Amino acid sequence: MTPKDKVTIRKLPTGVPGLDEILGGGLPEFSFNIIVGAPGCGKTTLALQFIFANATPERPALYFTVLGEPALKMLRYQQQYSFFDVSKLSSSIRFINLSHVLVGRGLTGILEEIAKEVEASNPKIVVVDSFRTVVRRAQGSEIDIQIFIQELGLLLTSWEATTFLLGEYAEAELHDNPVFTVSDGLFWLSQTVERNSVVRKLQIMKLRGQGSVPGLHTLRITDSGLQAFSRTFGMVNRKSKTPNAKRLSMGSVALDEMTGGGIPEGDSLLIAGSSGTGKSILATQFIAAGISAGEPGIIAVFEERPDEYVARAASFGLDLETPRKDGKLAIIYLRPLDLSVDETLHEILDAVRKTGAKRLVIDSLAGFEMALAPGFRTDFRESLYRMIVSLTGIGITILSTLEMVESFVELPFSSYSISFLTDDIIRLRYIEVEGVLRKIMMVVKMRGGVHSKEIREYSITPEGVVLGERLIGYDRLITGIPQRAEESALYDNDPPKHKAGS
Amino acid sequence: MEAKIPNPTMRDLAQRLLAYEAAAGQTPDDNTHAVFRVSEKLRRPLITLAGAAGFRALLTRTLALTKAHTPAVAAFEVRPDGSLDGLADYKNDAQAAEAGLQVIAQLLDLLVVFIGDALVLRLVLDVWPDLPPL
Repeated sequence: MTPKDKVTIRKLPTGVPGLDEILGGGLPEFSFNIIVGAPGCGKTTLALQFIFANATPERPALYFTVLGEPALKMLRYQQQYSFFDVSKLSSSIRFINLSHVLVGRGLTGILEEIAKEVEASNPKIVVVDSFRTVVRRAQGSEIDIQIFIQELGLLLTSWEATTFLLGEYAEAELHDNPVFTVSDGLFWLSQTVERNSVVRKLQIMKLRGQGSVPGLHTLRITDSGLQAFSRTFGMVNRKSKTPNAKRLSMGSVALDEMTGGGIPEGDSLLIAGSSGTGKSILATQFIAAGISAGEPGIIAVFEERPDEYVARAASFGLDLETPRKDGKLAIIYLRPLDLSVDETLHEILDAVRKTGAKRLVIDSLAGFEMALAPGFRTDFRESLYRMIVSLTGIGITILSTLEMVESFVELPFSSYSISFLTDDIIRLRYIEVEGVLRKIMMVVKMRGGVHSKEIREYSITPEGVVLGERLIGYDRLITGIPQRAEESALYDNDPPKHKAGS
Repeated sequence: MEAKIPNPTMRDLAQRLLAYEAAAGQTPDDNTHAVFRVSEKLRRPLITLAGAAGFRALLTRTLALTKAHTPAVAAFEVRPDGSLDGLADYKNDAQAAEAGLQVIAQLLDLLVVFIGDALVLRLVLDVWPDLPPL
């Protein structure tokens, strides 16, 4: 069968931001869909957003209520959302109460009434809320219920209506339930409470005729209604990296030299070090250097407010306020404590679109993790991978800061075993020399590029991070307790019984 | 019960509805009062929105609120089918009309509490598309 022989299945917009992408472009026209989930998950809101996005006076929506939320209450609450268009109410949407029909005439009566209304109105959309109530109240056997659902599906599809049946089902009830075999689409909305966070998710368990994005996607209910965040958001249409990518300055000639000319565009750089080693200052210098070169930037902060960040940058002579006002810099402050990585990515991509940003700072990864809902922290590493891949895939150069606990027996590069996710790593650490705390920097990794192997001392000055010379005459710098080279040589030949600091 | 006087906008709307039904006149087969016709015409869409039991509850609440500030509506009751009873108990038409006005205004005011002015007006205009504007 050639493409032109195939029937064209139009995809209808859902009216829910982010959901069309998850469905693979929209909801198939004339499909018979079931939305299930516990009370409060957003089933009604989802159905209404679809209705308001699609119903017209010529092809209206019929909303059948059956012993569930009365339409009067629905109108009261749903009009609080911005998608609710009062002008469409009488012309494009009709509410019909079937409660008395169900009580008096059962499934047969429900089917007859729906058929009558559909034939009279020629609707584009039909919603039955709740069909679980219909099924519960039905006196017939399981096979009777399945026949009812099938006949209802055939009726509505034949009349070219796209249908939603809404029902309260727990996840365990979805498996091996014959009712769901009839549906073309099955959407599961869930809501879990973990510690003090509420996390809402959506899964497309079934969608006939087109590929959808698998897995659980974050859902959020705001004043605009439901919004969905695909777990693969931004991972399509990735650009491949060019072998001789442009190099981006870190804002320091010396550091640019250490990195072999700067950070390759589209790379992910990790700056790791303990508290006070200057990670945020380096990150700020990176963004400032970009802005000076005409590259807009984004800073995602989790531990301090944007104004504090800007003020601190100013104390080092770096003006972030002007580019912020000019729209060349966006500082995103994310601290809702029930965040998901997908939402964060969405917000960053939104900022990229608005600013045309080429550089992104995430300050810090630990703060990012703390801002996530507990349920999302368990797969933080995987989510971070998706986020980094998505952003570098569209050419954004990412600098992430990571606080490390100092060790004097090893030099770990990251706390999350994510060093493999990043292209480049700069490690900062304290050392103690003759009773003085000093700082050293080393470029540990530059994927696909040559970099300096030197360990150089640096200091934090009113002008920011200033690199000094390579520390010579000392060994074991990376332990934090260096020894003079001649003492070290002696040690190697004749190790003392007790190790002591230099 | 604390008296809750209907807001002037809903009172005006109720007055317009009653005037409309009174002007529409009665047919040889129908000598119902304008108040009865207005409440019956509102019954269908409200049953759609709230169910039969929900509509009875709304009307019962309406009467309770109205009686708190207008004892003259004491004669009104809600029948099991949700229709208004008691109009015939008034001595004259003017008294019945005034009592009916209070009840209709109160019902509309109660609906405003739940769904807001815009939706109440839309609901009324759906039922009375030819209602003259204010």
